[in-house]
Amino acid sequence: MPAKRKGGAAKRTAARRDAPADEAPEFPKSRGIDVPSDPEESDPSDSDGEDGDFEAALREMAEDQGFGSDDPDTFGAEEEAEEEEGDSGDSAESEIHSSDIDGASSDDDLDGEADSEDDGSQASDEEEAGSVLVRTASRSTDGQRTAVGDAEEDADQRSKLLDGEGMEGLTIDDFGRDIAGWKEYRKTLPQIDPGYASDSSTEEPANTIGNVPIEWYADYPHIGYDIDGKRVMRPATGDELDKFLANMDDPDVFRTARDETNQLDVKLSEEEIDIIRRIQGGMVPDAEFNQYEDTVEWFTSQTMKTPLSGAQPHKRGFVPSKWEHKRVMKIVRAIRQGRITRSGPKDAAPKYYDLWADAERDGAADAAAQGGRRQLLAAPKLALPAHEESYHPPAEYLPTDAERRKWLAEDPDHRKTNFLPQDFGSLRTVPGYERFVQERFQRCLDLYLAPRAKKKTTQLDAEELMPKLPDPRDLRPFPSAEALVYLGHTGRVRSISVDPTGLWLLSGSDDGTVRLWELITGRCAQVWNLRDTVHRVAWCPNAEVCVFAAAAGSRVVLVTPPELCDDQKQLVSEEMVRAGFGTAAAAGNADDADDDDDSLPVSWDMPTSAEQATGIRVSIAMHRTAKSVAWHRRGDYLATLTSEEGGSAVLIHQVSKHKSQRPFRRLKGAVQHVKFHPTRPWLLVTTQRYVRIYNLMQQALVKTLQPGVKWISSVDVHPQGDNVILGSYDKKLSWFDLDLSVKPYRSIRYHTQAIRQVQFSRRFPLFATASDDGTIQMYHGTVYQDLNQNPLIVPLKILRGHEIRNSLGVLDCVFHPIQPWLLSSGADGTIRLWT
Amino acid sequence: MGKLKKKYSEGASRTYTTRNRALKKLQVTLADFRRLCILKGIYPVEPHSRKRANRGSTKLTTFYYTKDIQLLVSEPLILKFRQHKVFLRKLQRALGKLDYTRAQTLDANRPEYTLNHLVIERYPAFADALRDLDDALCMVFLFATMPAVSRVTKETVDECKRLSTEFMHYVIHARALRKVFLSIKGIYYQAEIHGQSITWIVPYQFSQQVPTDVDFRVMATFLQFYQTLLGFVNYRLFTAVNLTYPPRLDQALDDNAAGLGSLRVESRRVEDLIDARDAGLDAAATATPDAGEVAKRMGSLGTKMQSIVAADSAAPAYEAVGTAAHDDDDDDDSAAAADLLFGKQVVFLSREVPRYSLEFVVRALGGRVGWDRTSGGGSPYAENDQAITIQVADRPVQGHQFLDRTYVQPQWVYDSINARRLLDTTDYLVGQQLPPHLSPFVEYTAGDYVPEEASRIAAAAAGFEGEVTSLNPEDRDQQDSADEEETAANDVDGESADEDEEPEDDEDEETVHAEKQYQKQLLAERAGVTFSEYQQKQKEAAAKPAAPAKTRGSGAPKRTKAQIEEEERERIAISMLSKKKRKVVNRARADAYK
Repeated sequence: MPAKRKGGAAKRTAARRDAPADEAPEFPKSRGIDVPSDPEESDPSDSDGEDGDFEAALREMAEDQGFGSDDPDTFGAEEEAEEEEGDSGDSAESEIHSSDIDGASSDDDLDGEADSEDDGSQASDEEEAGSVLVRTASRSTDGQRTAVGDAEEDADQRSKLLDGEGMEGLTIDDFGRDIAGWKEYRKTLPQIDPGYASDSSTEEPANTIGNVPIEWYADYPHIGYDIDGKRVMRPATGDELDKFLANMDDPDVFRTARDETNQLDVKLSEEEIDIIRRIQGGMVPDAEFNQYEDTVEWFTSQTMKTPLSGAQPHKRGFVPSKWEHKRVMKIVRAIRQGRITRSGPKDAAPKYYDLWADAERDGAADAAAQGGRRQLLAAPKLALPAHEESYHPPAEYLPTDAERRKWLAEDPDHRKTNFLPQDFGSLRTVPGYERFVQERFQRCLDLYLAPRAKKKTTQLDAEELMPKLPDPRDLRPFPSAEALVYLGHTGRVRSISVDPTGLWLLSGSDDGTVRLWELITGRCAQVWNLRDTVHRVAWCPNAEVCVFAAAAGSRVVLVTPPELCDDQKQLVSEEMVRAGFGTAAAAGNADDADDDDDSLPVSWDMPTSAEQATGIRVSIAMHRTAKSVAWHRRGDYLATLTSEEGGSAVLIHQVSKHKSQRPFRRLKGAVQHVKFHPTRPWLLVTTQRYVRIYNLMQQALVKTLQPGVKWISSVDVHPQGDNVILGSYDKKLSWFDLDLSVKPYRSIRYHTQAIRQVQFSRRFPLFATASDDGTIQMYHGTVYQDLNQNPLIVPLKILRGHEIRNSLGVLDCVFHPIQPWLLSSGADGTIRLWT
Repeated sequence: MGKLKKKYSEGASRTYTTRNRALKKLQVTLADFRRLCILKGIYPVEPHSRKRANRGSTKLTTFYYTKDIQLLVSEPLILKFRQHKVFLRKLQRALGKLDYTRAQTLDANRPEYTLNHLVIERYPAFADALRDLDDALCMVFLFATMPAVSRVTKETVDECKRLSTEFMHYVIHARALRKVFLSIKGIYYQAEIHGQSITWIVPYQFSQQVPTDVDFRVMATFLQFYQTLLGFVNYRLFTAVNLTYPPRLDQALDDNAAGLGSLRVESRRVEDLIDARDAGLDAAATATPDAGEVAKRMGSLGTKMQSIVAADSAAPAYEAVGTAAHDDDDDDDSAAAADLLFGKQVVFLSREVPRYSLEFVVRALGGRVGWDRTSGGGSPYAENDQAITIQVADRPVQGHQFLDRTYVQPQWVYDSINARRLLDTTDYLVGQQLPPHLSPFVEYTAGDYVPEEASRIAAAAAGFEGEVTSLNPEDRDQQDSADEEETAANDVDGESADEDEEPEDDEDEETVHAEKQYQKQLLAERAGVTFSEYQQKQKEAAAKPAAPAKTRGSGAPKRTKAQIEEEERERIAISMLSKKKRKVVNRARADAYK
């Protein structure tokens, strides 16, 4: 029983040693063990029922450990059973112990104290100095033991600590932040009175000189000072012999060490010797420390499925998060306000509905069409496919090899069609069209990239543009059909002329002959062989006489054809022609002498008698080829044109006096024609590009007509004298109004070849153009008396009949002086009468 | 002195705006601007003076009307585009952060927009929409045949398929198909809907190659609008003929490539009609409080409902309506007959012919169609069905031929539709060299070259007698029952049998010929053609085939004297014109000559 008792006591001492009572005697329960802080329950006034008190402490401890507090009886029963093994003194023991712990009771029972001393270090009572070391050692072992952590012992400790549970059991921790409370409470605690029975009271005053060498005190009787500043006297020491004897007597001499500070011999305990030995051996001083303990892997590399962690869970793991709460509330509010709706199948409103119902009811369509926004132009529709796009087109739509090659060689952007017609014969052989998507895409591009514009296409009706011309049938009479052909010439008939009576026709040809024809019948009345190209024949316009001039080669002959008119007329004619002989030479020479140094290239000759027999009365010889002859309207003057350069090309001859004169000292350009004006004393000189009109009376240039053509071929003046027509080798006919402008009033181009001759009718409002294309164009040309009214020009008829020889067609044409007839001569050697 | 006017503050530089200026004004990207232009139907314009419009610069730019751009400013679509851009950015960010939950949520709540308002804006009246339907149809029919790969989504293709099939159903139902043309590019169809000719092209049934040189974003934008447009047009067309919209899709049949049959076109229920009537009454009450009008409409509604109820009892809707239409239009019998060209025919399509096209055209003209099992499910007729009158085949040699039907090549169907009567099948029998297939869209004017085939068809139409009567089932019933037995051996039996019926004796032939002539004359007389005209026509018809094929320009007839004179006078008159006018006249004449 005592052994048992001792065991229990030893346990309790161990528990006590756990408590650092020696370090801070004021706070004996300062170890961080949770103590139930119920002041009512642990009221010190209740301390009379000690057993019950202990049980309550136990129960609390059990609760603290996690046992259910709902079965206190069973728990209490267990405890009681355990307690039964001991005697009732056990409770007393515990009481003693508790008083010992808190140090509040001034119990003088030394048993517990002795026990503790005995159990912990077995230090002797008299060896006070050794007790310090012992305590430190035991504390270190205690520390080790706590680290190992025996749960059962822990529980025991606490029970011991709570033995004398009362008000004294409170620590500063129990008050938490209530420092004032704690201070108040501390005042209630009893004052510590270190009496005689206390440990320190029996001890010698300890030397407190600090860490200074003791030999400094070698010459003094004291060895230092105690805590009160009193000298600690050097203890009496025997001499060397005494020391030796004492050593010899003392069996523990080998375990005695000298405490130099206190000048004392300290006897080392077994444990201390063991420690020294271990230190000397280079081992861990604590025998109980196992340095080869198994490693506890607090943090391991292996991830466990349910990791075991010794770490304390953090507080935030148990406290609801404020921020989460805020976020949740945000969502809640959003749901309440309907901002968040449940995601699910959306309400299936019909995708399509009658879109135009409202518009048509309200007439919005009309409104939109009226205005509001600009009317967008609808894109033009694609052209519908034609036969060639068929999979099996008619054979004529298939391209030839050349066409196919051309199509393939062409740039795709410039191709007329974007496909090549193909014949597949049967529908099953038709492949997919590989450019289908591209063509659709192209259409899309056209729709949104191509500018659209409304193009105003004038619906051109050719009929509307056509001039409103009077019907030619209303403008009759005019020559419209061929009536007669005069055959006989073997060369080109360059020139024809009708006599003023209209009965006779004269023609001059390349074959060197001049023929006289009876106009009505076509009978050739007479032939003059002039043995040279006859460029021009011209009847004298004077109706009183019967004379004509013919330019053949380099001479101009004046002929009075015999037996053509009555004798009187014949006589007058011959008189007129011959009158110049006699005076002519003198006058001509005088003129020449007067005029200039250089004589005129003209000589008036008497023809040979053979010629005279045929009617040739006068021959005017020139130096060069005579190209043109033109009579003045009175029939006395004759203008001739030669191929000569300069001013001598144009000469004017007076037939009645056989007198020649040169009107121009010099002339610009190659003269094509000369012509007298029908009413005024004007001479029209036609050069290649211009027509110059000279007033012969004033000897001045009247005006220059500028037709704007390349090469003028012929000119004629309207019988009334105010209008001029002009034909050109570049196919144009120009009409001039002399009063109006020097530029043409009208330019008409119909002929496909050069115009050779233009001619006005002297009697009818007609004019005609003869061309190298073998046609004669008949025009109606009315000139009104009213100057404000423009002349009316109406094409009437194209007369065809002449053949084209060596790209020469009709060379000359002339109107009948009385009838609405036209005569024409051509390169084919014929003369034709058109009626 | 007045205030100095600032340069470019009015005039062409105000009327027109360049593309860059428009972009700056609208604050959109070029891609968005393009999309807007496509959807809103805004197109560039060509100013009279580019320099003046571009503030003195002659740089090559695109011009738009400033007012058009001003209209775009208030377009709600711009905001939608911006929302979409923001959505894309968020989605991309979520995906980048591997936040798939957020990405899913974003995707589920992606901003959506419709183009409904644009359809009504661009086409204020339904007729406008119909007028502009050509391109929409072409596009939708094209995408219905596109493979759903990469740039073309399956949803798009399915939607296009559905829309195109719906439209075809309407054309069938309304008997609106007028012309069909087998081109090398595809098949052109022309339908007449509400008086408008609508033409569209469908590619042949091959898998389309998705080209790389095509910007599918542009196409997709167009398609997006066209789908919306066609959807609304379909709705209106369907409801106008009392059909439910959208028609129900039979998924099983659709999976089985049933084509047209996969959509169940049904008449609207009576309750719907009553609702519609109520709505109509309300509208009428608000719009025109004309009691008599309302009463009349009520009355007509009653009869309409009755007819619809009757139609409901009949199994397929289109047949019922077809017969109804036939009954109604007794007065214009010929037109109805042309609409129901294949009304008495049951056509079977062999597997090598394009079923989707032929099924559509035959049904559109009142015929009933069956097809081979291999070319899709849902065929109402098997090949050995006794009701079949015509089999369309495109193989020169048929393995097994039924004697009770005519085997023709597909072109016969199309040519018959274009001729608006059943053509003689002899030229189109299987294995025959086909006559040329001509475009029905070509209209000849005086002086145009007319192909031989066209004149032949025209001549045949003028003196129409034809062998087509033999295709009628009644006539066929009268045939010898022994002929109906199937003989597998001889593949030209059908033809020879026809020949056997022809009289063989020479003297008979003459009388038969005379008889025919007489009949033709009678027909012509009935058609209101006088005898002299008829004779003239006959002469021309006889002369035409004899003429060589290429007679363009050559072989001009001998002109009379008067004609020559007239021409002469014209030429003279032209010579009187000024140079400018002469050019114009010559050009006009050249155009006229063409």
